[in-house]
Amino acid sequence: MAEPITRRAALGTLGTVGVAVAAGSLGVPAPAGAQGSSQALGLQESVQDGLKRVFGGRPMKDGTAIIKLDIPPIAENGAVVPVNVEVNAPMTPASYVKTIWIVADKNRIPIVARATLTPEAGQAFVGANIRLGETTDVRAVVEQSDGTLLTTRREVKVTVGGCGG
Amino acid sequence: MSSRVALRCAAVAVLVAGCALAARETTPVASPVWTSHAIVEARGEIRANADGTRTAVRYRGWTTRDFGAFRTYAYDDARPEPPVQKAAMPAGVAGDPTKGRALFLNRQKAPCTGCHLVPGADVWPAGSVGPDLSTLGDRKLPDAYLYQQLWDPRVTFPATVMPPWGAQGLFTPEEIVHLVAYLQTLHGPPPAEQDSDRNPFTRRRSEGFGDNLDPTNNPAVIRAEEAQALWSARGPTGKACADCHPGGPQRAMRGVATRYPRIVAEHGRVMSLEDFLAVHAEATTGRALPSESGDNLDVTVMIKMASNGLPVAIDTTSPAARAAIERGRASFFRRVGERNHACADCHTPERGGSKFLGGRFLADVTGGLTRHFPTWRTDRNEVWDLRKRFQWCMTPLGANMLAADSVEYAELELFLTTFDAGKPISAPGIRH
Amino acid sequence: MAGDVGKIRIRVPSNVKAGDVVRVRCLVIHPMERIERDAQGKVIDRNYNYITRVTATYLGKPVAVIDLTQSVSENPAFSFALKATAPGPVKVTLVDTHGGKYEGTADIAFV
Repeated sequence: MAEPITRRAALGTLGTVGVAVAAGSLGVPAPAGAQGSSQALGLQESVQDGLKRVFGGRPMKDGTAIIKLDIPPIAENGAVVPVNVEVNAPMTPASYVKTIWIVADKNRIPIVARATLTPEAGQAFVGANIRLGETTDVRAVVEQSDGTLLTTRREVKVTVGGCGG
Repeated sequence: MSSRVALRCAAVAVLVAGCALAARETTPVASPVWTSHAIVEARGEIRANADGTRTAVRYRGWTTRDFGAFRTYAYDDARPEPPVQKAAMPAGVAGDPTKGRALFLNRQKAPCTGCHLVPGADVWPAGSVGPDLSTLGDRKLPDAYLYQQLWDPRVTFPATVMPPWGAQGLFTPEEIVHLVAYLQTLHGPPPAEQDSDRNPFTRRRSEGFGDNLDPTNNPAVIRAEEAQALWSARGPTGKACADCHPGGPQRAMRGVATRYPRIVAEHGRVMSLEDFLAVHAEATTGRALPSESGDNLDVTVMIKMASNGLPVAIDTTSPAARAAIERGRASFFRRVGERNHACADCHTPERGGSKFLGGRFLADVTGGLTRHFPTWRTDRNEVWDLRKRFQWCMTPLGANMLAADSVEYAELELFLTTFDAGKPISAPGIRH
Repeated sequence: MAGDVGKIRIRVPSNVKAGDVVRVRCLVIHPMERIERDAQGKVIDRNYNYITRVTATYLGKPVAVIDLTQSVSENPAFSFALKATAPGPVKVTLVDTHGGKYEGTADIAFV
């Protein structure tokens, strides 16, 4: 019986790493909207569904003034696209950037990565090399310790390779 | 013959600065018969199947199509370029501009946008190797003229880079009629450009992939560091590289890469580091490092890194080296394959070098690039030496590749290395 | 290449003074397997091997946890910040979906 890949990946991030997950051993599927599923990563979904699942419709402010989303405007290939996100906001125990998400709208797995930070980080910053399937908007979503969400985005054009791409 | 004269003229025009020899059509000297020491996927083998078809044995994921009908780089391939062909438009075919546009953008065909810009927000990414055709219709060129251009442009422009699409059967006569109909609809003024990146003449360059020598940026550096273990490991004969080359690879191999490729007397041919390792490692330690194997590439990178910062210092003066360089130069300008292209067509500034081919900015080899090879290819997650790069080009050109360690490729590599003379080695590189 | 999976390199800046916020950059060799589809375009269902979590600690305390997906590049490079309060180790631990656990350390040293 074929378990959907999404649930297998979800189990992985809930702490069962170290166990080889065999087909058919996944147990009870998480109902849509359950508390755990907003934490799940690695799901194939539309970006709208992903954002709704993770953020539940909470308001997001325009963070362009304080979020520096560093990404090349043209990616020579979609396999390795370096992204750096830096947030100009305090990192003190009283107020700090708790989480940074990297989102690629057109990817099959649009919620690309999530960084969870502590005030000891000293700066709200994360960088990663990501895959982009095609020309797409890439977003950074930032959550502060008081729950405020901010976001910004940039378009990345992706070329494919070969004589025509 | 006129195209060959044009080739010679072009060859003279792009002579390497400092190389005093006049370009001439040199007859290749009989090369030593060389049995490939490459892995199976890299030998350029063509398998004859029981049903009479032929399948090419190549790297995983590469096309298995046999391009045997078309000219290769082999020194004993005496076939001429495809003859220049005149052609008249077929009667009774009504040109359909919509079909023509679809053909123009079709990536299975060329696409034409690889070299030519035309209007449309869906044209991404067009190239700048050829002229911008966005207002071609304004020139009111006769249909028959455009048809001939697409069939075989060499009739009008003997030295052109553009393939003879019709003559080579890459487009049918009907398809070319549709393309002509489409081109005749392109009238100015072109729509205002919404996005300066769409137009290859104003497009921003890519930012590259950062510090090639940083192991937190270039996985090939990690691979070379890990290859140090191979240096000291005893092979089947009980010997290790370290036994004859003491002091660690950085000290023992310092400066060695600056002299490669070179003519290795005992084998009577030009060899790169990769070629030499493929015979030398097995002969001494008993461990095989076949060309294009991971170990061969990683050890090559490790050895080349030992010369980082040192200037390339290959032999360009001995008569044998000069003759080999000349044969390499002839290969560089030799038109091969279904597309009838030469390396020079994409990689010299007089032709396609430093222009966009589709989304790819074409490298101009006259600035010297061999000192960065082998290079990490981020879109493949592999180390590529220059031979694999040559072999890759054979696929879009429609020519059967030669063995990675073939003498033809070695002498072509030697010619290309002359552009790096005196420049500091910095390997491994990192590229898309 | 198979033997190199999990090999990690970590770079920390050299001229670090107490109180500096420094960026740490890492690269790990890992296939980060992508979703495959069959000839009909249907997703092939199997346990793809990719890194799910990177945990970075400094002086034993977590400074960043980065959760990755198959949308992250093969041989991923990633970076994070830390406030250098004392000389000591930065440790990076990674786990993948196949039970692989990999670790690397670099030292923050003050000038």
